[in-house]
Amino acid sequence: MTDHRANRPAPGVEIELVVNGATRSAATEDRVTLADFLREGLGLTGTHLGCEHGVCGACTVLLDGEAVRSCLMLAVQARGRQVTTVEGIADGDDLSPVQLAFRESHSFQCGFCTPGFVMSTVALLAGNPNPDEREIRETLSGNICRCTGYESIIEGVLLAARRNVEAGLPG
Amino acid sequence: MEAVGARSIGARVMRVEDPRILTGRGQYVDDVTLPGMAHAVFLRSQVPHGRLLSLDVSEARALPGVVAVYTGEDIARLTTAAQAGAVSGMNLSPDMKSPSFHSLATDKVRHVGDPIALVVAESRYIAEDALELIVDDIEMLDPVVTYEDALDPGKPPIFDELEDNVYLTAEMAFGDIDAAFAEADRIVRASIQVHRHQPVPMECRGLIAAWDPSAEHLTIHASTQSPHMLRMVLPDQVGIPIESIRVIARDVGGGFGLKNSVTREDVAIVAAAKDLGRPVKWTEDRLEHLATAGHAREEMADLEAAVSADGVLLGVRMDVKVNIGAYPSDPFPGAMQAYTIIMSFQGPTRLRALAGTSAALFSNKATYVAYRGPWATADFLRERLLDIVADELGIDPLDVRRRNYVVRDEPPLAMLTGRPFAGVTTRESVEQAAGLMGWDAFGERQRAARREGRYLGIGMASYLEAAPGPRVPGQDGPDIMGYETAHLSIEAGGQVVIVTRQQPHGQGHETTLAQVAADELGVRFEDITVRYGDTDITPMAIVGTGGSRAATMANGAVLHASRELRGKVISLAADLLEANPADLELAAGVVSVKGSPVVSLTLAELARVASDEPHRLPAGAASDLAVTRTYDGGRSGWSGGTHCCIVEVDVETGIVSFERYVVVEDCGVPVNPAIVEGQVRGGVAQAMGAVLLEHAAYGEDGQYLAGSFMDYLLPTTTVVPRIEIHHVQTVPTDPDVNFRGVGEGGMIVAPAAIVGAIEDALRPFGVRALEQHLPPARIVELAGTLRPR
Repeated sequence: MTDHRANRPAPGVEIELVVNGATRSAATEDRVTLADFLREGLGLTGTHLGCEHGVCGACTVLLDGEAVRSCLMLAVQARGRQVTTVEGIADGDDLSPVQLAFRESHSFQCGFCTPGFVMSTVALLAGNPNPDEREIRETLSGNICRCTGYESIIEGVLLAARRNVEAGLPG
Repeated sequence: MEAVGARSIGARVMRVEDPRILTGRGQYVDDVTLPGMAHAVFLRSQVPHGRLLSLDVSEARALPGVVAVYTGEDIARLTTAAQAGAVSGMNLSPDMKSPSFHSLATDKVRHVGDPIALVVAESRYIAEDALELIVDDIEMLDPVVTYEDALDPGKPPIFDELEDNVYLTAEMAFGDIDAAFAEADRIVRASIQVHRHQPVPMECRGLIAAWDPSAEHLTIHASTQSPHMLRMVLPDQVGIPIESIRVIARDVGGGFGLKNSVTREDVAIVAAAKDLGRPVKWTEDRLEHLATAGHAREEMADLEAAVSADGVLLGVRMDVKVNIGAYPSDPFPGAMQAYTIIMSFQGPTRLRALAGTSAALFSNKATYVAYRGPWATADFLRERLLDIVADELGIDPLDVRRRNYVVRDEPPLAMLTGRPFAGVTTRESVEQAAGLMGWDAFGERQRAARREGRYLGIGMASYLEAAPGPRVPGQDGPDIMGYETAHLSIEAGGQVVIVTRQQPHGQGHETTLAQVAADELGVRFEDITVRYGDTDITPMAIVGTGGSRAATMANGAVLHASRELRGKVISLAADLLEANPADLELAAGVVSVKGSPVVSLTLAELARVASDEPHRLPAGAASDLAVTRTYDGGRSGWSGGTHCCIVEVDVETGIVSFERYVVVEDCGVPVNPAIVEGQVRGGVAQAMGAVLLEHAAYGEDGQYLAGSFMDYLLPTTTVVPRIEIHHVQTVPTDPDVNFRGVGEGGMIVAPAAIVGAIEDALRPFGVRALEQHLPPARIVELAGTLRPR
């Protein structure tokens, strides 16, 4: 157990990682979560914290392409790896295909859970460009939305999947 | 976007909000960082009821990085104790005993999670370290948990200055209740329970307070449904006058009623920020949220109904109890539900008499707050009662509804409370829902399924929703939420700016208000900007967004303001063009002479003349293109409709699945159908959670048992089915504004439809569902698969 009373300097660890395609290095405490590091250390506040115990999925980011919960990881565990956040998938002002499909489907309301759904969906479609509704529901059951009742989100994923098929991606 | 001349109202216009939300550029309160900002966390009670004997914060104060630690004693010095509802005078309601309390515990702790101390540090991590260094000594007291506990004179009063735990009692009667009972063929009785559950917005509470000591000015960044409410409630407690408080709220991650109060944490954070002279941020975590942010719906009623032989409710006597927890919410104390559940019970029925008594009771539980249709238990009680009447009299529940619901324009023309049944389409929605679901043929399917050991059930429920709904004749003037004001102006570039007092938190008002103005003004949708969430510019309002009122009230204010502004624009253009105003038209932001489009002025040109060339204005003309308009709701009508669902209950596992869920809705004229559908489906999903999963559970000892999302279960994609939405032809009640609210409808009626369907499925087991919470563990008990514990 650490003795908090010791007047110790913050145990800064310098870590380097690739975030949204750019190499970033910053000092962090070893106990800082990846989510807090992204939000506070790098100012990427698009990643949201809805529960901080790994259930709601709002903090989902991609780590080397895999969807992970950034509230359950330490920043130091991402050292040397590729992290993609919701800020990193649009092309300037042009929404990514998943973002565009969600917009056209009126998928979201308050928007707090949205970054997590976007990233979970990006990961899903990367591995399975044309999932059916059951597969979508199973994959997204790890993300909680309190506003929509989910149907509009499912419609958004199905729309993005249809466009994948039209674009000739294997389904 | 839209073609010129195309109507924007009624179109599925893509939301203005979505590009920022989808790319992570939304700004929720925890995304805000101010220079010099410190971070706060609360030490909270782990026991439900106790006397605070001592509190030692010296070690916490000494921890490097800790800026300050505040105790109840400090807060009592820095702030003034308050009574909930003082700003509206509600604390002085007859038959109410209002306690005064501080934002941190001073003498006692009154529920698990009651804040005891506030730590402010250079980082959240250090602040949480410091919590562990605080030593408290609490003498446990007997906890008050249930309704029975609260009414037990042997239990200690939660507030020492009050002699018991009864916060408020109410009694009211409408019609001749004795005559109704004298005439009855049958008396039907039921005692019905709704369990404590909670709104759970995905963004927890949060606040940043920044005190400017030189200007003596407070800026608050808040996650709130009602920015001005903070300005109204805080001054008496923190000693800062209202004109010196600015509240900013940008994106808000859901509220559902919970963020329509000023909480004790808000007061403590403001007090700390003022004391320290530097910004202080508090971001609630999910455990704090689930245990303390606010619970709702812990209500029960004993019902006694006078019923005719054909199943018509003649009169109802009801005794209601509301378990409101320890600290009443401010400015709308939960005690209000003691009235509203009685007042809202009638719904669309022809009930002739109603007599109710009710009591709001204190307990050692978290604060009771508004949750999406705060009166919702009234609808649950009524619709459950209709099903029970049907069962006791052996009548089809559909026929019982046909016999009880009013027919439009036939007597009675008004509710017992005096509110007219103007334009109600309940009966049409019932028939449409029954037809869509094949109600008459369902019995045969149900019997066939039972022979295979499958248990299907069908349920139906209808409702009326006042948002604000028709007025009682003769009762003019604003209700508790007030009239709605909108400000419209044309900026120098010709852009139209709408300033609204609404505080959208998912409802898409940046889109819908612009849709209304686009049509009414003759301006392109993309040339309209909606501004909100800054009390320096927004009109005063105790409630920003709540009560499903934006559809009628905010759209109505914008509609009328747009017409007025359009008149101003045309009048100025007519003068400058030396044309007859009647010959001018305004389309796509250009005023032109009908038939001669070359003779025209753009809004930008007109705005420039108005602001920069006053000598060109006609004598007496206003030197701005701006309008402030207050709307009283006009002759608004009811929202309403019918929900009907078919469920299958697995009696081995207790799992309920939905075969089909149909909503037949009357929401007037939908401004944006996609947004309406989202509101309806979201409400139904929350109702599914309420019935099948969610329970803000306390143990008999008063300990809180649902402090994580592994204990407080929310519906996910694998629980919520597709929800079909159909519309009945609405009956306009106002010459101009027939947009009606849909925020609460799904949540208030769906629990009754779902519980009715589950009960119907379990009929072979002789089940009568007298409770709203039917999680798998309860269903296997009801079905006899497992013996009740």
